[in-house]
Amino acid sequence: MSRVRIEDVSVRIPVYDASSLRLLRMPSFGLAKVGTRTVSHSGAIFIIHALSNLDLVIEEGDRVCVIGHNGAGKTTLLRLIAGIYPPSSGRMDVEGKVMALLGQNLAPNPDATGYENINLVANLYDWPKARLPEYIRDIEEFTELGEYLSLPTRIYSAGMHARLAFAMATLQVPDVLLIDEAIGAGDAHFQEKAKARTRDFISRAKIMIMASHAIDFCRAMCNKALLLANGRLVFFGDIDEAFSRYAELR
Amino acid sequence: MVQAIDATTGAAMPHTGAALWLGVRTVRNLRKGLAWAWLDTVCQYRRSKIGPLWETINVLVMTLGIAVVSSAVIGGTVTNLIGYIGLGIIVWSAISALIGEGTSTFVRNREYILSSNLSIDFYVARMIFRTLITFCHHLVLYFVGVAIGLISLHWVALLAIPGILLLFVNGFWVITLLALVCARFRDVELIVRNLLQLAFFVTPIFWDYRHVLTSREYIVDYNVLFYFLEIVRGPLLGEVPPARYYAIILAVTFVGFFLAYVAYRRMRRHLAFFV
Repeated sequence: MSRVRIEDVSVRIPVYDASSLRLLRMPSFGLAKVGTRTVSHSGAIFIIHALSNLDLVIEEGDRVCVIGHNGAGKTTLLRLIAGIYPPSSGRMDVEGKVMALLGQNLAPNPDATGYENINLVANLYDWPKARLPEYIRDIEEFTELGEYLSLPTRIYSAGMHARLAFAMATLQVPDVLLIDEAIGAGDAHFQEKAKARTRDFISRAKIMIMASHAIDFCRAMCNKALLLANGRLVFFGDIDEAFSRYAELR
Repeated sequence: MVQAIDATTGAAMPHTGAALWLGVRTVRNLRKGLAWAWLDTVCQYRRSKIGPLWETINVLVMTLGIAVVSSAVIGGTVTNLIGYIGLGIIVWSAISALIGEGTSTFVRNREYILSSNLSIDFYVARMIFRTLITFCHHLVLYFVGVAIGLISLHWVALLAIPGILLLFVNGFWVITLLALVCARFRDVELIVRNLLQLAFFVTPIFWDYRHVLTSREYIVDYNVLFYFLEIVRGPLLGEVPPARYYAIILAVTFVGFFLAYVAYRRMRRHLAFFV
């Protein structure tokens, strides 16, 4: 049983360099078209209220697409659920194993080859040794990177990284999968494969939460949408309605 | 791929339970840190012909230079001094890497800390094992020294093994503590690096601690780094370190891990904000 429950959670991100950035005068963020407008400071530390009073329950079988302006709090929400950011107030409870695929890639060592990175990830994430050959075949087949897997990952394009990262993140069917926008770097063919894989993945009734701006991709991958604006939850539910509300926001 | 609670401090647990649990987790994570450090070293070899051995050459050059200068200034012959100074510099390079580079461990792994929920032990263990691998490269110089007769071989040298172990075990709390504090307070890193430079001169690396004036013995006595240096260098030169040295180091280890635990409990959850 996996579930994500968030009750009245706020996340405040401190900016420690503020005192030397001359931000102590409390500038007006009202003019900023992106990000949250709620800010405060305590002493020399400047605080961005990235998420405010969020209430949310995501149940098993939910594939949620998180949408919103740049800086609306999408990544913060994913990091919160992943346990990377602590909630500043409120209660949250994540049941199940979480796999976070945030940022550009999952390859820990850019100078090592694709295969070496796969082996390292297998080690770091405790993949069962006996199944490793099978996993590697799966990754080869899914990513279609071929010989590139024998080259250092630092030469990969963004799309190649997205392929490798997505393949590695979805191998083990985590209870809660978190995906950031980077996955959008894959081409149309990859996105088709990703959709097929997600369908398979979701048939085993797990939770997926992804941030995206692409409505088609979102519609294909998810069954719910969550709209954030200025760090607050605006709407959670039907995808089409979420996108029409999103359009009104602009 | 661990659950949220796993990545943080187990805050719900009582202190003794949490400390024990963290300890067990840390030991289990060591193997993974080794795999990571090994891959780093392999990549280092791939890009340059002799990889970390460049640093060993650096150590050799330093040793020769300092031995020549020392023998001229302080007295003694180069061949007598070279084993003492060489081993001093080898151990020092490990100490200074653990402390100096350890401070920026989390800041350097910023991208991974912000995008995955891996335990931070991995980054610490990776750093420790990388230093250990480099240290083993440097030890080649010791065996060369033995082979050409500059250093005589004793059974006592085996006592260096627990010494090396203690040194690197202590590296674990040093890095955890310093990397957490330095991620939050960036000035500390620069202060530590400064002090480390001073420590190179204060610690008996290229001068003999037995020649210190009795009235100034506190320079050596209150220098913790000296004991770490001596439990590795002493045995390799055929001297059994006094039991007092080990007692001091065990006390330091205990206090250090306690401090690291406190810092971990207080700061771990906010690490993503610091980096």
